[in-house]
Amino acid sequence: MSQKLVDSLKSEFGDKIVSVNNSCGDESVLVPGDSLPAVLKYLKESESCEQLTDVIGVDYPERTERFEVNYLLRSIANKSRINVKVAVEEGMDIPTVSDIYKSANWAEREVFDLYGVKFRNHPDLRRILCHHEFEGHALRKDYPIEQGQFLSTPEKLIDDIEYHGGAFRADEVEGEDNPFDLLNVNIGPSHPATHGALRIEVQLDGETIVKAKSEIGYLHRCFEKEAEDHTWSQVMPYTDRLNYVSSMLNNCIYASSVEKLLGVEVPQRAQIIRVIVSELSRIIDHLVCICANLVDIGALTNYWYFYNIREGIYYDIIEPLCGSRLTTNFARIGGLSHDLFDGFEDAVEKHLQKMEVAIKEVTGLIARNRIFLDRTVDVGVLTTDEALSYGYTGPCLRATGLDYDVRKHAPYSGYEDYKFDVPIGENGDTRDRIMVRMEEMYQSASIIRQGIQKLTPGPIALDNASVSLPPKESVYGSIEGVMNQFKLISEGIKVPAGEAYGYGEGANGELGFFCVSDGTGQPHRLKVRPPCFPIFSAFDEIIEGLMIADAIAILGSINIIAGELDR
Amino acid sequence: MEIITKLLTETFGLQLDNTGQLVAGGLTMALIMALVMATCAIVWTWAERKVAGFIQSRYGPMRVGKYHGALQPVADMVKILGKEDIIPDDADKPLFVLAPIIIFIASLLPWAAVPFAPGFIASDMDLGLFYIFAVSSGAIVGILMAGWASNNKWALYGAARGAAQMVSYEIPLALATIPVVMRTGSLNMNDIVIGQQGGIFHWNAFHDPFLFVAFMIYFISSIAEVNRGPFDMPETESELVAGYHTEYTGMRFALFFLSEYANLFLVSCIATAVFLGGWNLPVGNAVVLPGLVFLAKAVLLVLIQIWIRWTLPRLRVDQLMHVCWKVLIPLSLLCLLGSGILLMVSGEIAA
Amino acid sequence: MGDMVFYLFALMTVLSGFFVVFSKNIVHAGFSLMFTLFGVAGLFAMLGADFLAITQTMVYIGGVLVLVLFVVMMTRIPAQNLPKSSFNRKIPAGIFSVLIFAIVFKVIGGTEWNVLPVDAPEATISMIGQKLLTEFIFPFEYASIVLLLAMIGAAILIRERKIDDDEEVQS
Repeated sequence: MSQKLVDSLKSEFGDKIVSVNNSCGDESVLVPGDSLPAVLKYLKESESCEQLTDVIGVDYPERTERFEVNYLLRSIANKSRINVKVAVEEGMDIPTVSDIYKSANWAEREVFDLYGVKFRNHPDLRRILCHHEFEGHALRKDYPIEQGQFLSTPEKLIDDIEYHGGAFRADEVEGEDNPFDLLNVNIGPSHPATHGALRIEVQLDGETIVKAKSEIGYLHRCFEKEAEDHTWSQVMPYTDRLNYVSSMLNNCIYASSVEKLLGVEVPQRAQIIRVIVSELSRIIDHLVCICANLVDIGALTNYWYFYNIREGIYYDIIEPLCGSRLTTNFARIGGLSHDLFDGFEDAVEKHLQKMEVAIKEVTGLIARNRIFLDRTVDVGVLTTDEALSYGYTGPCLRATGLDYDVRKHAPYSGYEDYKFDVPIGENGDTRDRIMVRMEEMYQSASIIRQGIQKLTPGPIALDNASVSLPPKESVYGSIEGVMNQFKLISEGIKVPAGEAYGYGEGANGELGFFCVSDGTGQPHRLKVRPPCFPIFSAFDEIIEGLMIADAIAILGSINIIAGELDR
Repeated sequence: MEIITKLLTETFGLQLDNTGQLVAGGLTMALIMALVMATCAIVWTWAERKVAGFIQSRYGPMRVGKYHGALQPVADMVKILGKEDIIPDDADKPLFVLAPIIIFIASLLPWAAVPFAPGFIASDMDLGLFYIFAVSSGAIVGILMAGWASNNKWALYGAARGAAQMVSYEIPLALATIPVVMRTGSLNMNDIVIGQQGGIFHWNAFHDPFLFVAFMIYFISSIAEVNRGPFDMPETESELVAGYHTEYTGMRFALFFLSEYANLFLVSCIATAVFLGGWNLPVGNAVVLPGLVFLAKAVLLVLIQIWIRWTLPRLRVDQLMHVCWKVLIPLSLLCLLGSGILLMVSGEIAA
Repeated sequence: MGDMVFYLFALMTVLSGFFVVFSKNIVHAGFSLMFTLFGVAGLFAMLGADFLAITQTMVYIGGVLVLVLFVVMMTRIPAQNLPKSSFNRKIPAGIFSVLIFAIVFKVIGGTEWNVLPVDAPEATISMIGQKLLTEFIFPFEYASIVLLLAMIGAAILIRERKIDDDEEVQS
């Protein structure tokens, strides 16, 4: 698919391309740092690579050019992807591409934060996930995983206004030069509308936001560092904690990413079950997103209409299926942890019907409600081009009118066999984002019903001793089984050296895992591409010029999940 | 009022001159009203939670008290009385302490002029309606005081919003009642109610189309005036955390809370008296159980307000002002003009 | 008993008035103005001028005071830059105050007050209404027009400033 891109690059840049590599079907080209902006610009303008999916740093301490920065590019129009790599020596810098792709701004900050790679001419090269006083770079291989740091001073985000030590009364301000008609207010880190911990410092003129700057990282646990210290299968429970609203999706997409690197395909039944639970999770995620968003704009009752359904799915389906509601840990590399329970189909059908009733009720309450429309129509508008440049995916991108859905665009887990529509919006405003999610729930319900129709008995895990754990009878009954279990548990699955970017349609957009293996049982590098990270990076720009109330409504509609945002 | 002064002089043998009678009787009456209204407000907190529960397919309070958590408000009161009373270090202490008191007083004062039944009115003053609007405007000062004294940005925003909103919505609120005053020819609450005798079509709200619109304007503005959803700008828990009472705890917070419900009931009572015929029955001239009829109507209006709160999303602050200044005020002026013309044409002007 | 109530209101008015004048904290001064105004309203009520009392409450507490408070709270008056009254300004100020007080006191004391033993009218409102719309219709309407003009003027002033701002941005 992306061979064409490589050929085009070769003919355009010739000897500037240092090397071309293909790992697990993903094409990558290595270019020198200085020609990177030219290459990306060429790809964007001539090969319609509209989107910079992510910027990923990898540390190879044994190489002289120690850091490798991967720029994942995607052309939605041509359905192709390419990975442009740059190798950087320690202490050297590479030019920024944040003027070509807006999504590069935060992504490069993240690479700078975690690896210390400097980006020349970057507009705002500050730490993003770690605290601003943090010393060292957490994802470097020589940073000890157990080394904690005690940091306490909050970061000053908007400098050009004097702080008054918490006081804001006119009579307490010293000096003449304070523009007192502007007021700095912190929304968060602990604020009812942030639904997690994040901080947006806004400068207000009356109620209008003149300037906004957000700070994330309050929930940063360095999932990626943890992953490098665990075996591939031990990472699975950690993925539950990424987007904790739809953990099943994280499980399934993580498993399929590692399977891509392994080059294996899971059995039919496991694929179908993955699709079903993924869509259930998507429904839950959308339910929670919409109801929380409606609470933010004051329509409290809708919260219970949706939350009841969500609780029902959790208690009656997810919990019997995997033993807990939120931390599901359901998928396994090469399959699933358990098969479905008896009566699964009926339970699902029952709750899908309830969900459809609830959607009807909530739509009835808001769809033509004057106040709701006044609050959401033309509020927080983002055009398709801007959204693409910011790296938007998922419902937020579809609300702008582009039908990019990974399930259609690059089907995985057998999504090509299901019939469903991709709902799109028109204006890319808050209302469209809510309504796209509403419609997607119907589509997910249809996919689940088709999946249940397709279910046939069969194995739920690969019959491959080097990937799947042996069945319990064999572990308890034979020496081979015991040894197999022991090797897989203590050393982990030996994933062949290489790298692969596996991705799928998360509830919030494209969720991707960039896996780099060095052939041992543990990941050399595991980078999550969380959908809401690029989405939130546009937030400051969207809300400038709007009012506080709008900012809160928009924050709800772009569905920020702090666990995934901060990792 | 007369009954109480009589009771005081005759039963307790107090020797009082005219003003003395007024003051002693007034104080006793005020005490009774304050107690009754505070109790009502407490009951409304329970009702709101139950109604909200029914609307949201859940139960609401169920445990305390045998029937549907009937004693929940009592438990809440006990709990809230036992809470630590926190005054933030940087708060303006005298104002911080004073603010909830002023708001609570402002929510109790208007009750003096509410006619529950014939003769059952604390002060049957000629300026009843005017008095109610005047004294309830004291709450604005209380809100500003609370927001300022808290020394908290969210509280200040809530206070500024609250003051702006209440000052603005007082205008359509008062303008909407003027057609009624014109029709009755009096500001006396008793007269207004008596003027609506003779069945539902003599009630001001259903008398003519202009008055019906005026009633609607009054009802909408009154929701805004008591800062309840969808007009709960000063509180907006998702934007301003809790608005002007963010920093308040314990009993001081309870005073804000109680005055909100006292106000909620108050505006419903005024609407009942001014627009919905007060204690008059929908049919006929007979006065049957006047207090109960009055309360039934007021309770119905309160329930509608609760229903609205739990159904509609919240407006944005500029849209709120837009509704007030560009929709409600012109509309209420039109109503005023229309009902004036109607009165002239029909020759119905009270002498 | 009646005197007691009078003194209560009078004390409230005077004390809070003092506080308005002497308080260093301008916001406290603004808030204590409320008690002054309320006390005056009480005095009006005691004189049987119920309409005046309620108008006082509505207009001054509900309107004027809120605006005053808004202005006081929203404008920046640095505590350090408050004009400090020096001693040589205090002397003439003090002399003038004493003088004015003496004159007022003299005038009040020297006036032959015609105290008529008239009962306060039961209802002042209908009388006021009648007078306003018959005898005093011209001043009444005149006042309305002046207020309307003031309102329009204020709106225009704000608009013009906004337009200026926009032009500055463009240029």
